[in-house]
Amino acid sequence: MPSFFKQRKKKTNSEDHKESGRDQPNNRSLEFIHDSISINLDMIKQKTGNSSDIVIRTLNISLHSEIKTAVVYVEGIVDSISINDFLIESMMKNHALQEKLTRENALEVISNNIVALGSIKLVSNWEQLLLSLMAGETLILVDGTNEALSVGTQGGETRSIEEPSTQVAVRGSRSGFTESIRTNTALVRRIIKNPDLWLESMKIGKATQTDVVIMYINGIANEKIVEEVRQRLKRINIDGILESGYIEQLIEDQTMTTFPTLYHTERPDMVAGNLLEGRIAIFVDGTPFVLIAPTIFIQFFQAAEDYYARFDIATALRLLRVIIFFISIIGPSAYIAATTFHQEMLPTQLLIAISAQREAVPFPAFVEAMIMEVTFEILREAGIRMPRAIGSAVSIVGALVIGQAAVQAGIVSPAMVIVVAITAIASFATPSFAIAISARLIRFLFMITAATFGFYGIILAFIMLTVHLCDLRSFGVPYMSPFAPFSPKNAGDTVVRLPWWALKQRPPFISNENNIRQGKDQKPHPPTNRGMVNSHTRKSDQNES
Amino acid sequence: MEKAKISAYQLFVLILLFEHGTTLLLPLAVEAKQDAWLSVLLGMVGGFVLFWIYYGLYQYYPDNLPTEYVQKIIGKVLGRLLGFFFLLYFMYIASRDLRDFGEMLVTVAYPDTPLFIVSALLMLVMVYTVRKGIEVLARTGELFFIIVYLLAITGFILIVASGLLNLTNLKPVLEEGILSIMKITFTQTLYFPFGEVVVFAMILPYVNQSKKAKVAGLFAIGLSGINIAIITVLNISVLGVDLVSRSPFPFLSTIQTIRLAEFLERLDVYFMLTSIICGFFKISVYCYVAVIGIADLFNIKEPSRLVYPIGIVILFLSITIASNVSEHIKEGLQIIPFFVHLPLQVVIPLLLLIIAFFKNRKSR
Amino acid sequence: MNRKWMFLFLMLTGLALTSGCWSKKELTDIAFVSALGIDKNEEGKYVGTIQLINPGNVAGGLQGGGGEAPSITTYSSTGDNIVEMSRRASTKISRRLYYSHTNLLVINEELAKEEGIINILDAFDRDPEFRTTATIIIAHDSKAADIVNTLTGVDKIPANKVIKTLKITEQRWGEHMEVSIQEGIKNLISPGKEPVITGFRMTGNTEQGKKLENIQQSAVEENIQADGLAVFKDGKLVDWFQGETARGVTWILDKIKVTDINISWEGEQEAVAYEVLRQKTKVSANMKNGQPKISIHVDAEGDIGEVMVPVDLTDPSVLLNIEKTVEKKIQKEINDAIQRAQKNQTDIFGFGEAVHRSDPKAWKKLKQDWNNVHFPQLKADVTVEAFVRRTGLRNKPYFFRMESNQ
Repeated sequence: MPSFFKQRKKKTNSEDHKESGRDQPNNRSLEFIHDSISINLDMIKQKTGNSSDIVIRTLNISLHSEIKTAVVYVEGIVDSISINDFLIESMMKNHALQEKLTRENALEVISNNIVALGSIKLVSNWEQLLLSLMAGETLILVDGTNEALSVGTQGGETRSIEEPSTQVAVRGSRSGFTESIRTNTALVRRIIKNPDLWLESMKIGKATQTDVVIMYINGIANEKIVEEVRQRLKRINIDGILESGYIEQLIEDQTMTTFPTLYHTERPDMVAGNLLEGRIAIFVDGTPFVLIAPTIFIQFFQAAEDYYARFDIATALRLLRVIIFFISIIGPSAYIAATTFHQEMLPTQLLIAISAQREAVPFPAFVEAMIMEVTFEILREAGIRMPRAIGSAVSIVGALVIGQAAVQAGIVSPAMVIVVAITAIASFATPSFAIAISARLIRFLFMITAATFGFYGIILAFIMLTVHLCDLRSFGVPYMSPFAPFSPKNAGDTVVRLPWWALKQRPPFISNENNIRQGKDQKPHPPTNRGMVNSHTRKSDQNES
Repeated sequence: MEKAKISAYQLFVLILLFEHGTTLLLPLAVEAKQDAWLSVLLGMVGGFVLFWIYYGLYQYYPDNLPTEYVQKIIGKVLGRLLGFFFLLYFMYIASRDLRDFGEMLVTVAYPDTPLFIVSALLMLVMVYTVRKGIEVLARTGELFFIIVYLLAITGFILIVASGLLNLTNLKPVLEEGILSIMKITFTQTLYFPFGEVVVFAMILPYVNQSKKAKVAGLFAIGLSGINIAIITVLNISVLGVDLVSRSPFPFLSTIQTIRLAEFLERLDVYFMLTSIICGFFKISVYCYVAVIGIADLFNIKEPSRLVYPIGIVILFLSITIASNVSEHIKEGLQIIPFFVHLPLQVVIPLLLLIIAFFKNRKSR
Repeated sequence: MNRKWMFLFLMLTGLALTSGCWSKKELTDIAFVSALGIDKNEEGKYVGTIQLINPGNVAGGLQGGGGEAPSITTYSSTGDNIVEMSRRASTKISRRLYYSHTNLLVINEELAKEEGIINILDAFDRDPEFRTTATIIIAHDSKAADIVNTLTGVDKIPANKVIKTLKITEQRWGEHMEVSIQEGIKNLISPGKEPVITGFRMTGNTEQGKKLENIQQSAVEENIQADGLAVFKDGKLVDWFQGETARGVTWILDKIKVTDINISWEGEQEAVAYEVLRQKTKVSANMKNGQPKISIHVDAEGDIGEVMVPVDLTDPSVLLNIEKTVEKKIQKEINDAIQRAQKNQTDIFGFGEAVHRSDPKAWKKLKQDWNNVHFPQLKADVTVEAFVRRTGLRNKPYFFRMESNQ
């Protein structure tokens, strides 16, 4: 078994706890053995089980005395070029200083004068040593000293910046986050070039030691929420963090709900926009999905380009999305309720048409709906897992099988196919995938209540859903703000989107400090000296060119 | 008492939805015939006065629930007894409303379903909500307020556009004279729906902006009074006085007559939607108040555990209070106003206010 | 806690899948009744004729639609009252009768004359499924069963044909009016008004109407036609108004939308056709010396539709003459209608209600004997204002020059 896992079973209350709160058994020596670099190297080899990707390069850096030096790094996660050029080459070819080198000042000279790389620090205990090694840093060991240098040389192959695949925008930047956390934070830094943009790092996950970064704008973000986020992250005690989803589920307010209380996004411009409103971003190394806290329900209906488009189209699209969401939840259930309980609701002609179709179908409406919905879910899953080459075949098969053949075979009625198709399209139109998933589950619940109690069941289920939504909180902020509790100041950017010059304040429920985001009088005033001239023009207008 | 706080706007919304609760459903002031709307408006004025009484009591004891300050006013034993009676009254009215709803659903939409099942479903949802507390109830109210208003405006537009409005049915105005209208007000509309605001005396301590609470409450009563008067006018002008007096659910009959553009017909499901939402709020408020009151009187630390038992009590009560619909209605029209509503809504709070007034004068 | 919800969830799902749901009605288990006809047989029982829709034969398209089979099927059943008759019909019909889409109620003339319609309408009023917005008609010189049994061309469902015909003719010709059950009941019980219901008759061969061949030819032999207004007193049918008398009734009731009035001109009868496009009738009542006096005022606007004699339509004074003639004609129609109603001693116009609105105290005294005593004696003052606005696409008729040149 890897040594890290073995270690966990021997929990003791050792006082030698370093940062990440890991346990350290007593028989761990804090220092490594004086002046025997070979013993150190042997320890390293033993600890890593002689892994073949660990490179140990011994050097000779001093002219007269044989001061053995070794450079240790893990191939693949380091930037080999910088190691070769700035580390090994500098150390080997630095003849000028080699006379001054002695055992005692070796590390100092190396760090101050020889190594031409940015980040460098001293490590003196095994834990730090191995962690740095595994994080992609290069270790410089000198025979005769019980300290080592750890130089930042992280690199290796990562994905280049591409267009985000889940949140596509017609207008707006095309770069999306990648798996490397430094690239991601850099992308946001490039948008907000402000020293108030603060980052805090921590490593979460005992085995994976994943880098997690909290980012917020000091002065705008609410201190209490920042502290809350910090606390919750520190509380996490798990062996591995593979994706931001793990973190999301470990720090969210309430788990017994299908609605997400943390927003995630792949786009730097969305993160920047949220940060400017006073929210907090959580970056996790290894995934392009960045978490944003706190979240409100209406955020899931906002797409990035709402802000880049004009206010009238943005408002219309937002309203459309909310309506679409409701259709995707209530669609099939309304059909079932109307055809099974409340036939008087449908106009006579429509009813006759539907009834004619249903004459041929053997199942009751509810079973038919369930069959269609489940088939659609299967299709959807298949569509995700299919390799690209066969993707189009799946859509053809799906359309043909489900659409035509089932209808003609008399298994389902055409009206049902239409209802399910509209519902499916509606569920694809929600900008955020997380909400679409919750809608999928809720839809089944509604179908069952509709089949048992008709519209009464739907209404009751709807009431329960609303109550549940109103009860949710995301880091202390009520989930349904700004509708409930109602505050008009916050509502300028929700279902409607007022023109930019009207959104003067940041939503106060997120950030209480520093509310004003625009100067006064941002409404565009074109100069009045074209066309009809009014006798009382404002002085400010005459100053505009 | 919970540590929750609601804003004045949320109080406004709650009172509004509460007032609409079963009034959308039931006929109001039918004896006044075509002047029923006048009776409603007069009742609204009475509601203002009553709310002013309750608010006055609240001002003397702003941090106490009525079950607490009643003890302060007239002594511990008597106060507790009176508080308990009030709570019983709330539960009884809640069960009456639940029965009204069940009857409507069973008559109109689900004739074969047993009343128990229909009422039990509503009670389940109500219990789920009340357990979460007044804040969640208030927030849900805000959301539903928007939905209900949209539906109401759409319905109104549909009715007017159908050309069904026949304002001549409202004439002759004041045929029987103003005195008979006043009499009907004092025996009916004052208590139902306006006097039922007495429930909110239990909720006033939760409002965090006490100055605005008065305005919010009065505004809510005023707005709901106007709405209800408009609905009464609609009913009379579309259906005619006679049909209104014969229908157990006049507003439903009005909606059933909408026929527009050949496909917008038979819209009673939308009526069902609105009335279930409003009714749900009314019963939830009653249930919540009963839970809080009992928790306060009997010193129970976790009020949320009481919700299920009280809900079940209300459910069974709603089945047993009347064995058929005529008994239920007759009880509501002839017995309840005099023996129950009048003392508990008007007389006792007035007495309490007077006593509190004198007590506080002495203590200054 | 979780287990409780799971249990509830499972129960609900089970309920949904089995047929344990009480009020559930699958579409294939219900039969849509589109029209209901009521007759009385020799034993005094009610005979109901129920018109059911065959959905498969109505909706065309994918399912390989109709053309061979009729779009409706009718069944008849007897009973002592409406509810019994409806439930007895279940012995003949394979589905549950569903009345929410029943838009037409046909009542036999004899039934309306002998027994009156007061008693039979209660079932429709009380039942939540039956819509009181359904139209009610009287079968004139026919049995209700015949009207319900007939197949019609153009409209697949005969009930629709009747209803639409009624609506269109109310709008275009004005002799008949659409009366819903709700309105009928309202008028039955109101002391100041009596109901008026449109009648329909069968033209042609009754037996032929039931067959599919009836609609498979271009000139339909057997047809349902609107014919006259049935006038009621105390719930019983007493008289039929037809032609211009019927139109007089609809004038007073303010139900005319568009109609055509023919006037004589220069000795020629029915020479000029005046098309009324808009009209408004106001009825008000005044008490004079303890006697009610009714004033009726009609405001009509219209165009000239057709002339059969050379008339100089470019001359405004000619138009003024036409207006005056039209006014007299309308006055006559209305007066005729009032006199006929007074002869029948039944106030179908709602004059009583007008008195009630204007003077409630006087109405209290007059209410008792209104139909028999006061109504036949009252005087109605009819004033008409008619305007000719336009003359169509031509002003003078094309034969104007011809005649004047000869």
